[in-house]
Amino acid sequence: MVAIATTSKMDPDWEPRIIAYCCNWCSYAGADLAGTSRIQYPPNARILRVNCTGRIDVEFILAALDMGADGVLVSGCHPGDCHYTSGNLKARARWALMEKVIEQSGVNPKRVRLQWASASEAQIFADGVRTLIDQVKELGPIKREWR
Amino acid sequence: MTEDSVGMNAMESKEELRIGVFVCHCGHNIAGVVDVEDVAKTAATLPNVVFTTHEMFTCSDAGQETIRTMIHEHNLNRVIVASCSPRMHEPTFRRVVEEAGLNRYLFEQVNLREHVSWCHMREPEAATAKANDLVRMAVARAANLEPLPIKKVEITPRTLVVGGGIAGLRAALDIADRGFEVVLIERERELGGNVRKWAHMFPGDKPGHEVLEPMIHRVRKHKNIEIRTGAVIVNFEGYIGNFEVEVSVEGLKKHKKYEVGAVIVATGFQPYVPVGLYNYDKSLDIMTLGDLQGRPDEQQFIRPSDGKPVRKVAFIGCVGSREPGWKGHEHCSRYCCSALAKTAGIMADRLDEVVILYQDIRTYGKEHEDFQRVARQKHVIYTKYPPDAKPEVEVNDGKITMRWKDVLADTDMEFNPDIIVLATAMVPPEGIEEVSHTFSLTRSSDGFFNPEHVKLNPVTTHTAGIMIAGAAQAAKNASESVIDASGAAAKAVGLMAKGAVEIESTVSRVIPDLCSSCATCITACPYGAISWDMSRDPHIAYVTEAKCHGCGTCAAACPSNAIIMLHSTNEQIMAMVEAYLCVPVATPGGGA
Repeated sequence: MVAIATTSKMDPDWEPRIIAYCCNWCSYAGADLAGTSRIQYPPNARILRVNCTGRIDVEFILAALDMGADGVLVSGCHPGDCHYTSGNLKARARWALMEKVIEQSGVNPKRVRLQWASASEAQIFADGVRTLIDQVKELGPIKREWR
Repeated sequence: MTEDSVGMNAMESKEELRIGVFVCHCGHNIAGVVDVEDVAKTAATLPNVVFTTHEMFTCSDAGQETIRTMIHEHNLNRVIVASCSPRMHEPTFRRVVEEAGLNRYLFEQVNLREHVSWCHMREPEAATAKANDLVRMAVARAANLEPLPIKKVEITPRTLVVGGGIAGLRAALDIADRGFEVVLIERERELGGNVRKWAHMFPGDKPGHEVLEPMIHRVRKHKNIEIRTGAVIVNFEGYIGNFEVEVSVEGLKKHKKYEVGAVIVATGFQPYVPVGLYNYDKSLDIMTLGDLQGRPDEQQFIRPSDGKPVRKVAFIGCVGSREPGWKGHEHCSRYCCSALAKTAGIMADRLDEVVILYQDIRTYGKEHEDFQRVARQKHVIYTKYPPDAKPEVEVNDGKITMRWKDVLADTDMEFNPDIIVLATAMVPPEGIEEVSHTFSLTRSSDGFFNPEHVKLNPVTTHTAGIMIAGAAQAAKNASESVIDASGAAAKAVGLMAKGAVEIESTVSRVIPDLCSSCATCITACPYGAISWDMSRDPHIAYVTEAKCHGCGTCAAACPSNAIIMLHSTNEQIMAMVEAYLCVPVATPGGGA
């Protein structure tokens, strides 16, 4: 951990690249509201809109990490508030398994984050993005974890 | 359901990809932070992009015309607009490309405003880099877009109105008067909601029940309206134009079932009960404005605790409203300032002293300012208390003592009123969670339902075919609720009069040859839209498109990759990820 932190300090220009999968109904709208409310957060995340977090195949996350994403965020409706009733619960169930897969493949699971942010929770969305970026900055570029 | 193939023929043969990218300044909104010229220039270097431009307002008539003209001039078969959130203008631009003969699903929007310029205002360089990435991702996705058939469904000419308060009644009448059927359901035994309980309405002075009586009378007599009171929805499914609703009605053994084409949710509010505040629960003489209004006129001047006449009254405003950090109570309840002024003005005629303790006064409605002026003329005393030091109320042997600091006079005050009236917040009614789940509605931080767009679509919601009216949407007064109700009714009537509506074609589809008959998708689908196609041996999964809402959960769950989620395919998604992370060496920004 210490070694990694030191290395990332050695490359001050490095900025993590984050893929953020957001569901259309809650988190994408929450991200829209963050903009409308002029909430400022780091520009590292690239948001991809999917209809529901239930749409997110584990492969989307693993492939992103494999292609060099330093972190992946999945942001959806709160459990119980899914626009499609229960897609987010399916996402949560898959998540538990996926974290293990990531860990076993030698990638720190702190590079991925699952969060719930409703259409009105702009600040929670922005804070979540920031949290993941901070976590990833601690770990350094993902290339360090490739074998 | 019928299918229309607007703009599909052109795409059936594998022709060369010709992508056009239109970057929007949005006045200063985007261009003030993002270097839009650079974004347009960079986009021109991307694969398959044959035309790029940047414009002041792409959504304007001129901007729309440019898109149509350029589609023809450059033979564009994919269009990308990099502007605001697609949640705002995707329908606009889809229409524009369709007018130029292009299938609407060949349009892609990039969100440079809400997701870039507005949230990275102090980092123009990073914002421009992000904008370039997002456009590059969209170009990659566009290359994978496919035209989809446009589907039309018929609209059942019947509307369900949920809630029999003033908004629900108005909506039901408006629809029924235009010749369409209405099913009006109310969970209480009586129609009329909160308005029925109020002794004085504003701006007119009629009691609530008198305002409602003619409406309820007409609703009851109307041949187009079926009323169900003591009714609760037990099941709701379907899609715009074709909803099925099952209602449990008090006194009926069997559930009633209805087919409706549209729904108006008018579930209203409930008054906040200020337990624990200002000794509300310790004394009968400390009541809410709703409690006071619920008492017959003469009773309002009699102390509930000992039956003695009331000589002195204190009102307190903003109780449970405008409280930063208290979830669900941060909003202004909007009715209280006018209601307090009106009530105080009326009572002042017969009382020795009337005092209103307030934080701020917002008598914003048409002619509402008069209430305040009249109240002051009648010597109602307005005294402003600080939001962080609320008035203190003590009750000793039935005697009320209140102390507060008057902000304007910078003086500590003391008063012994006979009764205290608290103007409490409007909060969402009990059961709003169930209603929000039933109709897949989102709620804002005040707990009320979100409209589709606060300015552009204030009565429709993100669930097609579901409208909201009245205090279901936010704290508001009766006149405003009625305006909403007429608006929502007009939307429902418009839908039903048209008879048919286009729906999203974004459904999932099973590739028969890949399906391994494992049933994972059947259990994953929240809508029961996937079943077995028994005509095959072995039988395979089959999607009933009319039931599919397009969440894509099945596609993600399928272990055989046998399900395509149209317009959100694996290829379309992964192309974007790849375009961001694996930058071609030739592109500015360097390789990864």
